[in-house]
Amino acid sequence: MRLRRLLPFAFLLALGLAAQDPTLKDTFLQAKTLWATQGDREGATTRFEQVVGALAPKAATLEPAWSQILCESYNWLAVLDDRGAQTKSRAQGRLQALLDLNPDFEVDRALTSQRLATVFDRLKAEKYAPVKFTYSPEGGTLSVDDRPGPPLAHRFLPFGTHKLVYSRPGYTPVELSLELVPRDTKTADFKLTRVSSTVTLYVQPSGAEVLLDGQSLGRTQGHAGPDAAPLVTPLGLRPEDISAAFVIGELTAGKHQLELRAPCHRTKVLEMEANLATPWADHTLEPIRLEASKGLLSVSSAWPGGELFLSGQSQGPLPVAQLPVCSGPYDLLVRFPAGGFYRRITVEEGKALTVEARPKPRLAFLGLEGETEFTGRARFESLLEGLGGRLQQVAFLPAHPGETPKEALARVQASHEAELVLLATPVPDKVIHQVELRVATLEGEEERLLVKPLEEDPLGPLAARLNAVPSLHEPGLGLVLLDLPGEPGPWVLSASEAAQKAGIQIGKALTQANGKPLPSTKALRQVLESARGTVALAQGGPPVTLPIQTEALEIPLGAAGLCYPAVLAQLRLQYAGAKGDEANLIRLNLGLGLMHFHKYDKAIEQLRDARFSNASGVSQGTLDYHTGLCFLRLGSAYQTEATQAFRQALKYPQATLLGPEGPLVAPLARQALEDLK
Amino acid sequence: MPTLPHQGTEPGPGVAAMLSLCPEASMSPASPWSRTPVALLCALPALVQMPALGQEGDLAERLYRSGERAYAAKAYKEAVDTWGQLLQSAPKSGFAPQALLALARHQMEVEHKPEAALPYLDRLKAEYIRTPEAAEGLLLRGILLARQARRSTELKDAMAEFNRVLDLFPESSSVPEARFRLGKAWRDQGQWGRALQQFVEAFRTHPDAAVAPRAMLEAAETMDLLGDLPGCLRMLQQLRTRAPQSLEAQEATWRMAVRVKHRLQKPPLSNDGPWPAGRAKWLKTPTLLATAPDGDLIIYQSDLDHAFRLHNGDLAPIGPGVPGAKAVVATPAGGVWLLSKAGLLREQGAPTPLNRLGAITGAALDRWGALWVADAKTPALTVFSPDGASRPVASPTANALAPLPTGGMVIAADADRKLLFLDADGQPRAVVPYGKDLPVPFRYVIALASDGAGQVAALVEGGDFGEGIMILGPQGAVLRQATLKSLGISGHITSLALDRSGGLILCDRRNDLLIRLN
Repeated sequence: MRLRRLLPFAFLLALGLAAQDPTLKDTFLQAKTLWATQGDREGATTRFEQVVGALAPKAATLEPAWSQILCESYNWLAVLDDRGAQTKSRAQGRLQALLDLNPDFEVDRALTSQRLATVFDRLKAEKYAPVKFTYSPEGGTLSVDDRPGPPLAHRFLPFGTHKLVYSRPGYTPVELSLELVPRDTKTADFKLTRVSSTVTLYVQPSGAEVLLDGQSLGRTQGHAGPDAAPLVTPLGLRPEDISAAFVIGELTAGKHQLELRAPCHRTKVLEMEANLATPWADHTLEPIRLEASKGLLSVSSAWPGGELFLSGQSQGPLPVAQLPVCSGPYDLLVRFPAGGFYRRITVEEGKALTVEARPKPRLAFLGLEGETEFTGRARFESLLEGLGGRLQQVAFLPAHPGETPKEALARVQASHEAELVLLATPVPDKVIHQVELRVATLEGEEERLLVKPLEEDPLGPLAARLNAVPSLHEPGLGLVLLDLPGEPGPWVLSASEAAQKAGIQIGKALTQANGKPLPSTKALRQVLESARGTVALAQGGPPVTLPIQTEALEIPLGAAGLCYPAVLAQLRLQYAGAKGDEANLIRLNLGLGLMHFHKYDKAIEQLRDARFSNASGVSQGTLDYHTGLCFLRLGSAYQTEATQAFRQALKYPQATLLGPEGPLVAPLARQALEDLK
Repeated sequence: MPTLPHQGTEPGPGVAAMLSLCPEASMSPASPWSRTPVALLCALPALVQMPALGQEGDLAERLYRSGERAYAAKAYKEAVDTWGQLLQSAPKSGFAPQALLALARHQMEVEHKPEAALPYLDRLKAEYIRTPEAAEGLLLRGILLARQARRSTELKDAMAEFNRVLDLFPESSSVPEARFRLGKAWRDQGQWGRALQQFVEAFRTHPDAAVAPRAMLEAAETMDLLGDLPGCLRMLQQLRTRAPQSLEAQEATWRMAVRVKHRLQKPPLSNDGPWPAGRAKWLKTPTLLATAPDGDLIIYQSDLDHAFRLHNGDLAPIGPGVPGAKAVVATPAGGVWLLSKAGLLREQGAPTPLNRLGAITGAALDRWGALWVADAKTPALTVFSPDGASRPVASPTANALAPLPTGGMVIAADADRKLLFLDADGQPRAVVPYGKDLPVPFRYVIALASDGAGQVAALVEGGDFGEGIMILGPQGAVLRQATLKSLGISGHITSLALDRSGGLILCDRRNDLLIRLN
């Protein structure tokens, strides 16, 4: 008898016990063992009370299995209390609590004394009336006062009026009203009328979205029970491999299209013939298996310390090679010790995707300052929150809900989780129609932009500027070329020694590049951008092959299209992974960026310790000249240092500003020295 | 539309200070414009007594916007009156300096009375130096003062204003223009190194500024003056790459082309024949040629006593009519002046007597608007300032004269058999003996011409060389030369001009045509 009672308990345990502390179940079993094998009434009582203490406060939301444990614990406590002279009086209270929890619960008559069982029955009869149910057809759902449950044959319901609804897919629901009074016994008979066919699905995996004719009907849930075994066993599956039954009711006449979607699986579309809909019947489809859909993802970086996150889930440190991932879109994020890398990727089934992660500066949005209401505020806030989706060169960190900008700034400054901050401040006015956007580095370089919240795309200019990254290099051939009227192509004004040795003639036009006509320097730039390694140039004769060189550039200063705090943050990150002349070039440009912000002392720190190995183009002379300019800006106290720097610059007569074809540094340095005399 | 990108930071505010900073008061108010009701204007005298500053600001804004509206509708008097009322009624408003600036601009751009703009700019400088508008005010004031200057020493006040813009308003959008103007001022003083510094800084630190292409062009020209021809050519190419659609890029194209052709390629001169398009006997005794600032050729036809502009193959009369013109001068404003025994004839007005210069051999305007005149019977050059006053500049008797991009002149002194390259003060900077770099010497220079890019062309005759052509570089080196005989030219050539394709136009009075040498 006891074993038979434990069977449903074991099943319920499997369904819902996971939701609670597993040790509670051990406590419950220990309590029963203490009493059954050792007769330790006090020990058993203590443990049952622990169970009750833990479960009773949340009785209304308990899973059925835990509700069952709580009911049994009350039953046991009532029995144990009844055996002690001092505790006997509490037994009735235990039974009352049990009834309040579940009036349909039947006390264990083998365990409970006849006297106590009588008390239980009396207490039940004081508040509840028995109802007997019949269902035609069976297998539906009975809702009592809008609380759905299994269609039990007997129920005890509280005295009063109750709304009973019995429903089943494919049938019209039936509603009854039942008036219960003391010592009353009622019968409720439900007979449903069929109105359509139903189709029952079992899907592997569980959680798949079910769409009928393009309309979502919900998702499959849970796992099938043992009753599904006949269906799944022939397919080599176990019931727990597939979802619980998903019933499509109200299937209208005609053909239908069934679509099943699940993350990480290939979508399956099934055509349902008209004979499934009519004549009316209940159909159960063979369990449907969705094929897994995966691709391979590899992520690496030249910068150390990166950790990969896919849509918020950590995938471990870089490099990550050939990681099987479900096909579909992801937010790929790599967190570096400084900077981050973000890209929206789509992994395609059966394909490998390789990503090289270069850390990007992180921009922490501090929020929209103040609570002042203005027209378009909600839209503007929404645009700010969505700014990250528009940024390719900066990783966007949204504002934290409930945090003030000041708190957010303090957080970012303390954690160094971002290199840049963005603050939006409505400009006070009678009617607010301007918002000031401030982008700043944590070091204090700041830039502001005024936007109008009602304009079509108020954040467009900010996004464009944040996405603009000036290049520090351009491809070159060691040639200075001019576009001259009447010449067939770029005219060679000068050529490096190597280019001349290779056969390039000064004073003659280039006519072809890689076998194609070359009308202008613009066309050559395009050729260089797409070429790899070398370019074959002709000057009306046999082609000459020249290697493509990387020529250093200065960042443009004062360019309206650049956000200089972001440029500085980019350069600082790049410097962390750079060596040799590359590092020197970054330092030079960091210095220029700081000069843009009039931070000449900080610029000197960057410039003075860098040493280029090359002497022409943007090189050591360039660096010395800018160092001299910085000292000049610091005032007469640094006149000696400025003089020294300009003298140094004069040692590099081929050094230029801006780029390899920019103005020579030497005449400018010479004039600066002249002015310093 | 986005507005006003603020570049850089004011000294001081860091990230921490960011949160406590108030938005700048200088931001332009952007409340929708609303028309000032007539009743409000009528009630002005009463309204201005109201002490409430907020109301005054509101009124000032309305007045300013009302002026803007009127100005946009070209109702200039209404706009000027309205802004004047603003200045009277709300002088402490943030709109007062804006109104002053608008009034000054109006005088300069619409009334063309720069002297009338100065009082507004003076007041802006004196009373509103702390406002952002002061930067533009100082710049405009500097530009006006520079325009008024008649010699290099008079540029000091203008340069002081430009420097104030740089020192007081380093973040202002007026900075690149101020640097550019400063560069021009240095260049006008012959300080090419300093000029180059300013031009380079102008486009290096403000590559998107409207003035950047001009600064690049001036930087290139200054490099050439400094003797850096490759740097000049590289800069011109950069200009064409960076601002291909600009007027400066068009200018750069021909300046680059003529320099490369004459100084680097130096092909032998060849005769293209009658020009344009083989046209012969189409002129009436052409005797003088000049080149207009836009490159068009100016032809003086002696039989018609008039100068003509040749534009796209068509001739159009230009300037005054005068018989027997001895020199033709194309002015920067696009006009033509003629010099004859009767004096100087401008587009309008009576002839201006040229002292007793009776054998004029050449004339040219300098940067200050002064007219340099060469006379075959006067052992000096005579310089006429715009106000009519004249002064002699010591020099040998000049038989021909042409302007140089240095601000000076090149003259031919047949008596000394030398070409003299004079600086802006008339001091010789290079002396080229006749026949230098030639196999045999010549004796006379009939005419000189220059192209504004450093090249000088000379029409010569006599000696063993005979009638011929020379093209010289900025330092007087002969770049290209040929005798007329070797070119197969037998007409009577009286004048010449350098064109913008690296060619040379000769004026053949006997055959009533032009000849192009390539």
